[in-house]
Amino acid sequence: MDPTQLLLQAGVGDWEFVWRQRQFFVDGTWLAVKLTFFSMLLGFVVGLPAGVVEAYGGRYSKGVVRPLGVVVRGTPILVIISLTYFAFGVSPAFVAATLALGVRSAAYQSQIFRGAIESVESGQMEAARAVGLSKLDAIRHVVLPQALRRSVPGFQNEFTIVLKDTSIAYAIGVAELLKRSYDLFSIQTTAALEVFLAASLIYFVLTFTVNRGIEQLHDRVAIPGGNQ
Amino acid sequence: MTDPLLDVDDVHQSYGEETVLEGISFEMERQDVKVLVGPSGSGKSTMLRCINRLTDIDDGDISLDGDSIYDLDVNDLRRQVGMVFQDFNLFAHLTALENVTLGLKRVLDYGEREAVEKAAWQLEAVGLREQADSYPAELSGGQKQRVGIARALAMDPKLMLFDEPTSALDPELIGEVLEVMRELADEGMTMLVVTHEMGFAKQAATDVLFLDDGKLVEQGPPEQLFENPEHDRTAAFLSRLTKLHGGQ
Amino acid sequence: MSRNTQRLVRDGVLAAFWLWFSARLLNDWFGGVFVPQGQPFFDPEPVAAAATAVREAATGLGVVGTPVGWVASALDSASFAMTYLPDLAAGAWLTVVLTTLGILFGLVLAVPLAAARVYGRVTHWVALAFIELIRGTPLLAQLFVLYFALPLAGWIGAVPFVGSGVVPPQAVWVAVLGFTINSAAYQAEYIRGSIEGVDTGQLTAARAVGLSQLDGIRYVVLPQALRIAIPSWTNELVYLVKYSSLASFITVTELFYAVEEAAYSNYRFLDLFLLAAVVYVLLVVSATTTMEWVRRRVAIPGVGGSAGGRGPA
Repeated sequence: MDPTQLLLQAGVGDWEFVWRQRQFFVDGTWLAVKLTFFSMLLGFVVGLPAGVVEAYGGRYSKGVVRPLGVVVRGTPILVIISLTYFAFGVSPAFVAATLALGVRSAAYQSQIFRGAIESVESGQMEAARAVGLSKLDAIRHVVLPQALRRSVPGFQNEFTIVLKDTSIAYAIGVAELLKRSYDLFSIQTTAALEVFLAASLIYFVLTFTVNRGIEQLHDRVAIPGGNQ
Repeated sequence: MTDPLLDVDDVHQSYGEETVLEGISFEMERQDVKVLVGPSGSGKSTMLRCINRLTDIDDGDISLDGDSIYDLDVNDLRRQVGMVFQDFNLFAHLTALENVTLGLKRVLDYGEREAVEKAAWQLEAVGLREQADSYPAELSGGQKQRVGIARALAMDPKLMLFDEPTSALDPELIGEVLEVMRELADEGMTMLVVTHEMGFAKQAATDVLFLDDGKLVEQGPPEQLFENPEHDRTAAFLSRLTKLHGGQ
Repeated sequence: MSRNTQRLVRDGVLAAFWLWFSARLLNDWFGGVFVPQGQPFFDPEPVAAAATAVREAATGLGVVGTPVGWVASALDSASFAMTYLPDLAAGAWLTVVLTTLGILFGLVLAVPLAAARVYGRVTHWVALAFIELIRGTPLLAQLFVLYFALPLAGWIGAVPFVGSGVVPPQAVWVAVLGFTINSAAYQAEYIRGSIEGVDTGQLTAARAVGLSQLDGIRYVVLPQALRIAIPSWTNELVYLVKYSSLASFITVTELFYAVEEAAYSNYRFLDLFLLAAVVYVLLVVSATTTMEWVRRRVAIPGVGGSAGGRGPA
């Protein structure tokens, strides 16, 4: 079958099918959004302390956190999700997916924060200590406020990655957007193109809007005089 | 007999294989203003950083008001010793006022209102009342350094350490900072200053200490060192320096 | 463990892995050079026997024997893993193929894309749209579109030799295409970023000396840009190694597929997925180690911030 025939085949009937099933898409999108939100949250809660440890930790704490991070970052998310659900038996699938995506995100967010912390000049920490602040207070009140602002671009990138990775939760049967699309495709196989294109479009709109949103946020919290 | 405010006793410090400080000993009484001079790499900055334990000594001892600095809690020590940096190191994400209130609130446990009041007063004392709400990036070099001084002074330290406070400034901005330092000396603050500004040394210093290659070569009142030094090295270095930075 | 010892251990482990991997593949491709095709190099039987013996000792010791019990479990997992290693090696081979082809073809496509993005007028918008769309949608969705929505699999399958002998079946080619397109979009951005990371004064100076625009780019800008891009390429390589696992969704029998199949037949999910993780981590660390070596070989002080120095003292 030649390309023109293919386009003709993607007739109104199949787009109509997509429109009629829009609730499916809405449900799947909502699930994807929830997955992304909770995974990012878990990633932040675990990743920020991990990043601080990697930047400031002693030999032993670093000796634990670093290799752990390397292993998690070197394992495909598909394997992490499968381990969480099938091997460790975390249930239901939504929780397993959130846990898996969260752990992966934590490993990557720790790198974002570590890099941002290291980019804050050491003179800031010195001045804080010279005034008499304890190391912990110095990190909390001087280094982190600056580091967090510098983490925004990396965070933006990570968000896009996590949102797209939610599609892999398909592997353990989570009814997120891509799985719903696949299910629709199995109902009406001629609508394959329309269904997957529609899903892709939704993902694209999501990443696009959130990226622009984060950029706005970045401008708002910027330190006057530059973030560099 | 009371202890000297600062007693540096036979201090040695090394960085890896390299000896940075070798057998440095001197004392400072209250209200003394001592200036540390010497060629680059002679260990002057390291000496300052040893006093507030930003760097650790390898041998010897340093005492503040009779207590070894290694017997005191390190944050306690740093409350009593103020430091002004060559690169200012102002907290980039805080306004000038907030730079000063941070230490007051977190280290001295001041309440919000008292902290702001004290900080505002301190900034006014260095001539920066209008700049209280500006961020460091919006200030000139001289203004930044004066905020640095205010930040250190607000903690009511017993001793102020100045690490080449004007070296990073454009020539026309050096004057405003030196003036603040002179006033401080007049008011009786005990100061240990590393600088090349010989004019300041001649006018305000009680003693000048010449460091070379990690060793304290000579110390004495400015007139003695400038006009009648004991060592040739001292004479050579100071005359070179006066040509570049002298007379202000 | 000191830095140097860490490196030695890492290099030792990687060398052992690749030695085994190559020997395994060679053996199975040429119909059983060392051992019969598909049979593990090292007999798992003794290890399994050891596992049972240790476990008996553990139960004998009671509570004190719990750590001994762990050793028994580890031996048990090990003997189990040994039986499946030949299958996993075949899968890992496809992973390597998918990754290398994906990144190489992706580079070929990325260069004109980056050029259009930086220098084009109309083409700038086309390239930008393509890059944004590919980067803004999941790789898995892209694979689904290529495999299920388009008749590509059918077309490729119709090509002679596909699927027979050494030539991989059509699903693999569809996957390669998917990875190529995806990687090209990312690589184009990395290339663009690294070209823009070279100070414009460099090209100006080159022109001032008399070089043409093209020569200026070729001899002055590109050598610097390519070094700046090394960390990004390392990232891309690691990404492809890991996300090649998605090809299992479109029936490609790469490493994850092989592990899944084995796991569903004996339900030993933990052992097998952990083994999969180990192999992936080995592949990833191989990639990063190689790129690190490349970086050091081509490093120039002050260029790309990667030469270990920090610029003028």
